Amino acid sequence: MELFFQQIVSGISIGAVYSLLAVGYALVYSVYNFTNWAFDAFMAFGAFMAFYAISLFFMPFWAAALISIVLTIVLSVGSERLAYRPLRLRKAPRLFMMISAMGANLMIVNLLNLIFGGSFRRFPVDAAKPFFIGNVSIGRMDLLAGAISFAILALLWWFLYRTKPGLGVRASSIDIMTASLMGVNNDAVAFIIFAVTGALSSVAGVFYGIKYAVFPYMGLVTIKAMIASIVGGLGSLPGAVVGSLILGVLETLVAGYISSTYRDLFSFLFLVIILLFFPNGLMGKSGDEKL
Amino acid sequence: MSANSPLLDVQNLVVHYGGICALNSVNLHVDSGEIVAVIGANGAGKSTLMRTIAAVKTFTSGAVLFNGQPLKKDASRVVRDGITLVPEGRRIFAPLTVRENLMLGAYTRSDRKEQEETLEEIYALFPRLKERLHQRGGTLSGGEQQMLAVARAMMSKPRLLLLDEPSLGLAPIVIDAMFDAIVKLNRELGLTILVVEQNASLALEMCHRAYVLETGTIRMEGRGSDLLQDKRVMESYLGITG
Repeated sequence: MELFFQQIVSGISIGAVYSLLAVGYALVYSVYNFTNWAFDAFMAFGAFMAFYAISLFFMPFWAAALISIVLTIVLSVGSERLAYRPLRLRKAPRLFMMISAMGANLMIVNLLNLIFGGSFRRFPVDAAKPFFIGNVSIGRMDLLAGAISFAILALLWWFLYRTKPGLGVRASSIDIMTASLMGVNNDAVAFIIFAVTGALSSVAGVFYGIKYAVFPYMGLVTIKAMIASIVGGLGSLPGAVVGSLILGVLETLVAGYISSTYRDLFSFLFLVIILLFFPNGLMGKSGDEKL
Repeated sequence: MSANSPLLDVQNLVVHYGGICALNSVNLHVDSGEIVAVIGANGAGKSTLMRTIAAVKTFTSGAVLFNGQPLKKDASRVVRDGITLVPEGRRIFAPLTVRENLMLGAYTRSDRKEQEETLEEIYALFPRLKERLHQRGGTLSGGEQQMLAVARAMMSKPRLLLLDEPSLGLAPIVIDAMFDAIVKLNRELGLTILVVEQNASLALEMCHRAYVLETGTIRMEGRGSDLLQDKRVMESYLGITG
């Protein structure tokens, strides 16, 4: 029974990290109707920045995380300016945006590989020391990752549903042209969305790097977030969170009770089964409301 | 700016959609305090004209002057300058509540107290909206949605209100109420209005001046009451032969 609870806590924690990425996909998709494939590069970039801030400059963990967030926001907003905005202004089909995103992804990941090398790095923080509730041992980093991820999601919810710029973003996700007729600046919305998703991917990268390792292709895990965001319903923020938590718990249980070899197999099987019964995802709406 | 220059001055405006010329050298102006109507058939270029003045569509040549200044290139900045468009087909944010829709209308304003005053004006004009404040926009009837679209535009406290086909898809009795409200906006609140309409008789009855737009060109202009009596207008747009 203790093992089961440990698995659940660990699953929720990794699910919370997935949800940062899945929410990022959902945010971009809800406004621009394309999937930002460059996301996994941002995640790896964020992890690398934090890693080197600690190992080269001996920064404390929180300062390294902060530096990583800021730099990843710069990268994310910069890539929007260079790779997406020119297409958006020319009203290019969304397929072009996706291809542009893939290009940005390949470029950034390969630059990381070229500059830093492809080896696996252990994140230089002490994640091992567990702490106990009764007989259940919980990894401290698991707890921290879960708590911070949920706090960030709560902050994002507050921003979107309780502030004026948040209302502007929601309106843009419904009808971007009419939002601009209300005085919502499209470029400002793009800045907000890419800054927020950049920050989310950096935090996810740091926690994922701590749990596993830091390497240029670590961003491949975003495919899990992609699955979660489709399971939850493309473009739906609550859906992205719910999908991520289910996936995180499912994965950990499969790895714990069946075999970690089959973990990813189950993830994809789960996606197929959900889509068979809920073609729009669990919380996806076929129509207009996304956020 | 001289005292008698128009609030909106459109000069030799040419607009293309792809290779197709949608507006060809259009000249029109709107003075402060006026209701000006542009009537014309489907595809005459009425919506293009509105979208161009609201800066969601770019123009090829010519000039649009608002208050003597060239129009900004970005729709959100045009709203800040005081031109607000009620788009064709209303385009209510269906998943958002009536209140949220109204708040979006006030996106460019920061003074809470002034916004409350505008809200009171809106409730006086459209009491129905006050009853439905917490309902989602998409659950309103067509007429209520049109009221909301106009109210939402009023929330930005525009100096020039652009109305694109306010009668579209509404029942006749609702259309009458809508046009009464538009006239009230002008007479009681002093709002300057440019309206394009397919329903020519209604538009001509309520406006001060009107233009007739045909395949992207202004064919006629004059006082609404004069155009109502014009033989060509009667035949082409009012369905009166004689």
